[in-house]
Amino acid sequence: MNNGQWWAVGLSDAIEPGHTLAVVCEGKPIVLFRDEAGQAFALEDRCSHRRVPLSPGPVKPGGLQCPYHGWTFDGNSGRCTDIPNLGREERVPSSYGVTPYPVAEANGFIHVWLGDWAPGEYLPAASYRKTGIEYTGSAVVSLARDHYLDVMLDGPECLLAFTGVQITDFFLGDPRQDGDHLVLDRGAIWKGKGVGPAFVRDYPLVVRTSVPLVGGVITVELLSVDEEPLITICIAATENRRGTTSLCWRGGLHGSTISDSTMRWRFSRVIGRKPFEVFSEIDGNAIAALQIAPSLERIWPSSTASGSYSSFSPEVC
Amino acid sequence: MDGTQPSEFSSKRDWVPSNFDLRDTWFPVAYCADVDTRPVRRIVHAQDVYLWRDFGRIVAAEFRPDRVSQSLKVATFFTGGTGYYPVVERYGYIWLWYGNPDARHEELIPNIPFLPLDGKGIPRYTQRSVRFDAASLLSVENLIDLTHADFLHANAIGDNKSESDHVEVASTSETVTRTRIVTRKSVAPVMRWIGGVRAKYQDLRAVLHVHLRNNVCISYPRFTPGYAIPNVQPFVPVGKHRSRVDQTNYTVHAPAPFRWLMPRISYVIQPQDNAVLRQQNARYFESAERRDFSSRFDRPGNRYRLLISRLAERQRQGDFSYQTDADLSADIASVLGMKD
Repeated sequence: MNNGQWWAVGLSDAIEPGHTLAVVCEGKPIVLFRDEAGQAFALEDRCSHRRVPLSPGPVKPGGLQCPYHGWTFDGNSGRCTDIPNLGREERVPSSYGVTPYPVAEANGFIHVWLGDWAPGEYLPAASYRKTGIEYTGSAVVSLARDHYLDVMLDGPECLLAFTGVQITDFFLGDPRQDGDHLVLDRGAIWKGKGVGPAFVRDYPLVVRTSVPLVGGVITVELLSVDEEPLITICIAATENRRGTTSLCWRGGLHGSTISDSTMRWRFSRVIGRKPFEVFSEIDGNAIAALQIAPSLERIWPSSTASGSYSSFSPEVC
Repeated sequence: MDGTQPSEFSSKRDWVPSNFDLRDTWFPVAYCADVDTRPVRRIVHAQDVYLWRDFGRIVAAEFRPDRVSQSLKVATFFTGGTGYYPVVERYGYIWLWYGNPDARHEELIPNIPFLPLDGKGIPRYTQRSVRFDAASLLSVENLIDLTHADFLHANAIGDNKSESDHVEVASTSETVTRTRIVTRKSVAPVMRWIGGVRAKYQDLRAVLHVHLRNNVCISYPRFTPGYAIPNVQPFVPVGKHRSRVDQTNYTVHAPAPFRWLMPRISYVIQPQDNAVLRQQNARYFESAERRDFSSRFDRPGNRYRLLISRLAERQRQGDFSYQTDADLSADIASVLGMKD
């Protein structure tokens, strides 16, 4: 039995009214679609008639129509509402249908509930807040979700970049548990300023990664040394097929000004250059060479991570 | 049984019920005109077949000609340990016996009344090979199924609007025959613009005769006004995921240029079908716990599924015989409606 959880599986603006979007979550094919009124629905992406995907089909007033034989399924209940060419006196059996999934939209993300229990209230992207101009995207990366989360702790520079910023591999402490997330800070420096990270006495920037222990979304922040947020990225990662991971993200610049930034940073802001990039293609060599370090806390969180499980005390010799 | 002899059930390839690997049947594996002295490779139920001509005589073997003699130790039951399959040329095809070689009879080759028995005079423009991204069973089911055309092929073969549309199904232990009678249907674009049929409506009587063991589908659609487009579509099971069809669209009696262009419509229709078949096929490998729902429009296809399952069960019990209701060599011209 799967108690269930909400997953952020797509961006709200990725589906126009009357359109569909095929996604995969926990390995399950799901079709998202909006009716003409703009309401979003999620159904199993598999027609119960002859098993073809529903996602290439058109959205009709009665729901989503299968592109093969035209069976139509209601977005709320999953019930088959129409089989073409049936006579007026004929009715579609009430047992005919596909699996529907509860849908909730929040902060530009479409969430789908997968599980046997009634949907919970907490939505993974609930804490995300749009700041300034937003930058969004989606991709499927050739890395399994668990590894993606691990690498986000061990070496986020393999997965994303902030324009004009070099992320270092010096962790500022160990991961700490904050609710259902592991949070880790690491030092960062301005590119082109100074002679390199080894000679920096105090890092001018901090990259804070917040990785979910269960479900949830990843949050990556670029902070000033005073912990003023400069950039926040919210990345939803769900398990796709064959060891791949589906990503969708939103993020943007905060209004904070920073006095010791580089000319490059300031110029990039003036011309409106994208302040960050989430990689769609991942360098396998870099991933393979990465030491497994903070991500150990995802595997054995009760043994070493600091924070909410403060009952742990180091052994005294 | 001598352990050195090929056993009827010694190889996994011999019998795979889940794939409806039906035996003791003739498969039309290639056009006669495609095979010369240089060997060509075909595959039936994941089993290799090499075809070539030796002084004009067709030869079919499990191995390339230069390897037959040294490969005899691994020759299968299907060639009786000789490495060579029984083979016959008829209707412009090379028919290969798939099963117990001792059970072969040429009378088990399906009758195709509109094609010359010796294959002579069949124009090459009537012959087109297409490949389907699905097991032969699903590909045949797609052909039997009529209701998908409105959604998948509407741009090629018209909107299928009509005054009446009636479907009948008949069957034997070896065949399924679907007859569709349509009155006052919109003339298909291809027939209007290339076939020269200027009327707004036409009647259609289309008979599809499907052989269960070898997936040979013989079709006789007759349009009035218009003409008949008799055709053969043998879905040779390449494996669990792919099938090959060497079609003969015998349009020789239709006017030019329709007779030349019509056989090429396969290249339009086939990708449209493959768009769904490819995905559908993969999903039939998933758990069988959830059965497909059906409507009354699926009766012909469901009859096909049922008869295939019965035949497979008989073969699983060791009964590969043909029952008395199945006379495959009998003239089916009247079944196809050619004499009406």
